[in-house]
Amino acid sequence: MNKLLCALLLLVAVHLSAQKPSASDILKAVDKNMSSGSSISSTRMVVHSQRASRTVASTNYGQGNDKFYSEYTSPPRDKGTKMLKLGTDLWIFDPNTDRTVQISGNMLKQSVMGSDLSYEDFMEESKLFEDYSATIQKESSYDGRECWVLCLIAKRNDVSYYKRIIYVDKQRNVSLYEEWYAKSGKLMKTIKASDVQRIQNRWYPRKIVFKDQLKAGKGTEYYIDEIKFDVSIPKHIFSKAILK
Amino acid sequence: MMILHLAFKNIIGNGWRSLVNVLILSIVLIAMVWMQAMYYSWIKVAEKQHVAWEYGSGMFRVSSYDPFDAFSWDSSFAPIPQAFKQQIEYGKVVPILMTPATIYPAGRMMPAVVKGIPNQQSLLSFPSGGFVSENPFAIPAMIGTSMAKNARLKVGDVFTVRIKDSSGAFNALDIEIVKILSIPVPSVDIGTLWVDLSSLQEIKALPDAASYLILADKSQNTMEAPGFRLIPKDEYFADLYQIRESERAQEYIMYSLLLFLAMIAVFDSQALAVFKRRREIGTLSALGLTKNKIALLFTTEGVLYMVFAAISTAVLGMPIFWYFTKFGYRLPSGYEDFGMPGFSEPIYFSYPITIIMGTLMFLLALTAIVSWLPTRKIASLKPTDALRGKVR
Repeated sequence: MNKLLCALLLLVAVHLSAQKPSASDILKAVDKNMSSGSSISSTRMVVHSQRASRTVASTNYGQGNDKFYSEYTSPPRDKGTKMLKLGTDLWIFDPNTDRTVQISGNMLKQSVMGSDLSYEDFMEESKLFEDYSATIQKESSYDGRECWVLCLIAKRNDVSYYKRIIYVDKQRNVSLYEEWYAKSGKLMKTIKASDVQRIQNRWYPRKIVFKDQLKAGKGTEYYIDEIKFDVSIPKHIFSKAILK
Repeated sequence: MMILHLAFKNIIGNGWRSLVNVLILSIVLIAMVWMQAMYYSWIKVAEKQHVAWEYGSGMFRVSSYDPFDAFSWDSSFAPIPQAFKQQIEYGKVVPILMTPATIYPAGRMMPAVVKGIPNQQSLLSFPSGGFVSENPFAIPAMIGTSMAKNARLKVGDVFTVRIKDSSGAFNALDIEIVKILSIPVPSVDIGTLWVDLSSLQEIKALPDAASYLILADKSQNTMEAPGFRLIPKDEYFADLYQIRESERAQEYIMYSLLLFLAMIAVFDSQALAVFKRRREIGTLSALGLTKNKIALLFTTEGVLYMVFAAISTAVLGMPIFWYFTKFGYRLPSGYEDFGMPGFSEPIYFSYPITIIMGTLMFLLALTAIVSWLPTRKIASLKPTDALRGKVR
């Protein structure tokens, strides 16, 4: 009888372990879901300051992790502002002064349009699996969804955030909540994703809230109104000539 | 000699008119000497402050660092050369490490530069052993008054600073302001947090690295410093000298205005004298003085005005000059926010004799020319007409 019980338990355990994916598999799945060869999107960024909130709308083009171009379409004050990222270089074109400025040094540490993102954050480019070793911490529910809670530790010294805790939707492979930590262990940023929808052949969040935990305020909301993946983008979009 | 004697007598005889001329020239001279001394002393004060707070007797800066190229800042460090290590122990060299950072005072996000300096040092004006805090979880830091004002920080404030280490990973730590220093050098104060060197080396994961090395002695300039470059005094102070040059333009405009007013006074009185003293010109001519000698008499009178003005300047200006040497000149409040060196502390005047003598000689020459110009009329005067008081 005991032998039979043991065999049954072993069978259940083997079955369960077969069902539970490894942390690396989860990361790969998240990367596959969130990144694409190229994308074109229309977004709105709602920046909350102490006195008021303002919305900055933009059209964005991305190719891989290292090419990104964005043009602000509203409010009128910012309309026509263009931002181009090529690898580790970032330029901004200001239509009011008709000048292009390369963002560098201490300027990279300034906030993008008063948001909770700095230009430096904007420059981050990575796939989680390439940069982090993951372990499954636990299974938990977040925002009504069953999630894997992963602890990611940087594989290399040059990864910006040494540690991340991420809540990955078990069914959709979307990271719903993330905590980014500094080397000292201090929590630096949180990211909340919601309104996950099926877009083309992947699940993608329509709303992301970035919160710089070191900064006061309500955080920055990022709405993806429209997004198309794996589309053909003309080459001139990712050239400096577009900044005029 | 006779002409000099005659010119002297004429000036004395002119009474209050001469006095007014001398006073005007004296005021102009006092103003010019004061302005020149002010600019000269300001540069000297600024140089002294830079030496005391940042430059020492010389500086080796890491070769990759360019203060005008923000791209270079993140990688502006190199291992401290072996030859300097003993000098550092003896306090003959002060290593400084710098890094761009983001600070979050009261939840506000601000870019800043964090600089590390050894806690125990006496080469620069930072208080030695000043990085002491009772808070074991925060790194003690010192800032200047401008930084405190701009970031709204006070002693005891604790906030987070975000720094990228040498590999590019973010590190975030709490900082406590333990001292607010009156730092007169903007490049040492504005946007800068000073922490203990070893703390910053640890945060940056750069043990034994520095961005620049401050020297106690000029003789150390010849030391071998691989990875570092000697910054000559002229290069270090190039900005300051450039500011001085741009200020010089304004200074010359002021001088020109003052000189114009003074020379108008001299010219006017000389022209009037030629007109009013035509009988005297005729008499002197009849007595055998050549026209050139008569012109020389008038020119000498003009130059004597300037000589008297110089004596009067020494007498009248002395209390003013002494006051600014003793108590200094403090620029009106608000000027310290201009980000210019030497503006936040009183400027104690010194009077370089070469500049003062140069000014005096220039004024003497100018006065001589201006005094001579109206006397050209004398050349066209007939002695008989002059005696009758006729002027063509």
